[in-house]
Amino acid sequence: MKILIYIQSAEGKINPISLESLVAAQKIKEEKSAEIYAVTFNAEIANELSKYDVNSIININDDNLVEYSPLHYIETFNQLYKKLNPNIIIFGHTYETRDWVPRLSARLDIPFLSDCVGMQMNDSITYTRSLYQNKINVDLSISSRSAIISFQSGAYKIDSLNQGSSNVELVNVDLSSVGNKIINEAKFKDSDGAIDLSAADFIVAIGRGIAKEENIPMAKELADLIGAQLASSRPVVDSGWLNHSLQIGSSGQVVSPKLYFALGISGAIQHSVGMKGSGCIMVINKDANAPIFEIADYGIVGDIMEIIPKLSSAIKEVNG
Amino acid sequence: MDNEQREILEVDFLFVGAGPASLAGALHLKSLTKEKFPDLSIAIIEKASEVGAHSLSGAVVDPISLNELFPNLSNEDFPFEHEVKKEYMYYLTKKSKLAVPFIPKPMSHHGCYIASIGKLTRWLEQKCEEAEIDIFAGFPGSEILYNENSVIGIRTGDQGIDKNGEKKPNFEPGVDIHAKVTFFGEGTRGSLTKQLINKFNLMDGKNPQNWAIGVKELWQLPEEKLPPGYVAHTLGEPLGHSLFGGGFMYSMKNNILDIGIVVGLDYKNPHVDPHHELQLLKSHPWIKNILEGAEILAYGSKTLPEGGIYSLPKLYVDGAMLIGDSAGFLNGQRLKGIHLAMKSGMLAAEAAQIALGANDYSEEQLMNYDTLFKESWAYKELYKVRNFHQGFEKGLIYGMANAGIGLFTGGRGFGIYNKLSSEHGHIHMEKPSTSFDKYDGIDYDGKYILDKLTDVYYSATSHDEDQVAHLHVVDPSICIDKCKEEYGNPCQSFCPANVYEIVDDGEERLQINFSNCVHCKTCDIMDPYQIIDWTTPQGGDGPSWKNM
Repeated sequence: MKILIYIQSAEGKINPISLESLVAAQKIKEEKSAEIYAVTFNAEIANELSKYDVNSIININDDNLVEYSPLHYIETFNQLYKKLNPNIIIFGHTYETRDWVPRLSARLDIPFLSDCVGMQMNDSITYTRSLYQNKINVDLSISSRSAIISFQSGAYKIDSLNQGSSNVELVNVDLSSVGNKIINEAKFKDSDGAIDLSAADFIVAIGRGIAKEENIPMAKELADLIGAQLASSRPVVDSGWLNHSLQIGSSGQVVSPKLYFALGISGAIQHSVGMKGSGCIMVINKDANAPIFEIADYGIVGDIMEIIPKLSSAIKEVNG
Repeated sequence: MDNEQREILEVDFLFVGAGPASLAGALHLKSLTKEKFPDLSIAIIEKASEVGAHSLSGAVVDPISLNELFPNLSNEDFPFEHEVKKEYMYYLTKKSKLAVPFIPKPMSHHGCYIASIGKLTRWLEQKCEEAEIDIFAGFPGSEILYNENSVIGIRTGDQGIDKNGEKKPNFEPGVDIHAKVTFFGEGTRGSLTKQLINKFNLMDGKNPQNWAIGVKELWQLPEEKLPPGYVAHTLGEPLGHSLFGGGFMYSMKNNILDIGIVVGLDYKNPHVDPHHELQLLKSHPWIKNILEGAEILAYGSKTLPEGGIYSLPKLYVDGAMLIGDSAGFLNGQRLKGIHLAMKSGMLAAEAAQIALGANDYSEEQLMNYDTLFKESWAYKELYKVRNFHQGFEKGLIYGMANAGIGLFTGGRGFGIYNKLSSEHGHIHMEKPSTSFDKYDGIDYDGKYILDKLTDVYYSATSHDEDQVAHLHVVDPSICIDKCKEEYGNPCQSFCPANVYEIVDDGEERLQINFSNCVHCKTCDIMDPYQIIDWTTPQGGDGPSWKNM
């Protein structure tokens, strides 16, 4: 069994979703003794990949592939497919994947199971997709010889990547047949300072209890001391004190860090749906009846203004 | 100045808002014109992401208009829940209930059907699609387009504007939709309808419109606790005699309980909170018992135009007509508006057909809408209850007496007056009281009795937070300088979705949590200074109701 996996990168950095999907590929490799061919269009990324457990790294250097170019990408994979005849082609389910891979599926005339959240391996492999806003999961298996699979962000964790060493193979493709009609415009930029909170292990979140913008550095200090990312509930963002990308809840991000430390957050359902999956929930709130205590593992009924500075100085003492 | 390059879409007839009035009107217009004008283009725009997602009603529906619209179908073919089988009216005291021994025929729901307006509008949407009527969901009407004093269409809202009013990368300018006739079926207190009424003084010589707010929840009961077709209405607790309104409970399919309360938006006490009134209603021992083991499914709210026939605006201007709740087609005594909304859309469609034949879309032609209405059963029905709501301005006892006598006098006010006048609801509001404690005892158990924010969650409302708030407060300094003192900021109470909050982060100010908004328009109606202007947010934003 052969697996072709595309490692997406931008500005010299690997897209983490690609590495997560590499974990999936490695699992198939272990279970089915498959061979993994990791494809990149960037020589430096190819070198970086050599520390992982794959069979071969295919590096294609072509001016047409430096920037995202769907028609060139499709032709490249068309040629790779003919050359290697893989059983599975794996992608991270990124915006680019959404754009060009359906077209690739049509070109190769093989099925595309997009946005999978997991898989099980018995005699065959079944892939899990979520439907109806995650209300239903369906397990699908492939009856054709080959298929394209893409995995959702967070389906696999990067820290379970198997290390190894592998060789980089330089491959040439002939893209002269591509009549490119797609011209890239300026890249879409997420709002400034967008931070992916879903990747944070520790989060310190502040709510209305912080009362004033001047009090935020105090919480930030605590967050820095324990290596946590600062986040917030809606009122803090509404007041313009923190960027919207740091908002947690139904209208912000959904997170599940190892530790969620909620400071002055009452825990309305709109907030708690965004963090109740956290490993450990610690809470400080003045109001003993605040709903956040219902989902807390540890809680202090008290004033954050009083407790945060004490906590910070205690941590500093321990750290020396 | 608008320098945007906008696409222009030409249609023959345009309906704004895909509620029962527009859907029925469009279907009727299509069937009236399909032989002579088979290529006529009829379009409906809707601000919700899909048809039905912003539709909320009780509802017990009189099928009369559906029967007219679909003569080949029977009542079993419509997407109803149950035919009304058991009908009760209770007067609630704190701990128990008294059954009203008999329900007068004009107030009876016999022959009517419990229904979800969401299901009904989605069903009508399908019929419209089969009839090749174009429905564009996710497009709010944000401006009326005029040629001098004729309405020539509407402009849909721009998408992708950030909170500072700047264009985001996904910016898309709204589209200008031009039509021979534009039908305003925006629902209650329509934001464009309000502009139209003001521009053309359409309320001149009429009683001011009076609204009520309805707040409701859907509950999944663990087993059949109420028989199919069960309808109960309540008076008395928790509203008492000074507040207009009452409670309702209807049994829907699959053991779903539909429970809600209607509160007149003409109350004196600025602390009145319709959401809290519903929680008090559910705290009544009788209802608490029914809810035992149940699970909350959904929450929502809307306002109802209760004013009746004397509060209907002039229904037409050059190039436009007002239909449904936007005009105020609702029978307050029967607690029904859907059949009248549909009928008004159909009558407007008939007027449009005549205008089409004459190729003239001015008032001269569209006034046929008014003539047709006056000849219709809808007029007769509304005329009979023409003084119903006005009677309640003096309280429940007067209101009931007036309604009771009206049954025997063909609707005369207190048996004597042909036309009772009314006042704007918001002007009755009085000073806040320091001793108000009606809601202090509500036991928010998080399971059956829910705080407002939790209920908002179950409305599934969402708005892109990076946009200009769609609730415009003309002068927010009034909130702190005047309103706090004079009325105690009643916006915090009358809004059923916690949109308005006075916060103190060093300085007191009004915070508008517009992303909580459930599009009921209560604030636009009830604000004592009339400085809140409800406008449409980005297309598709708002509640996502399924079967409300």
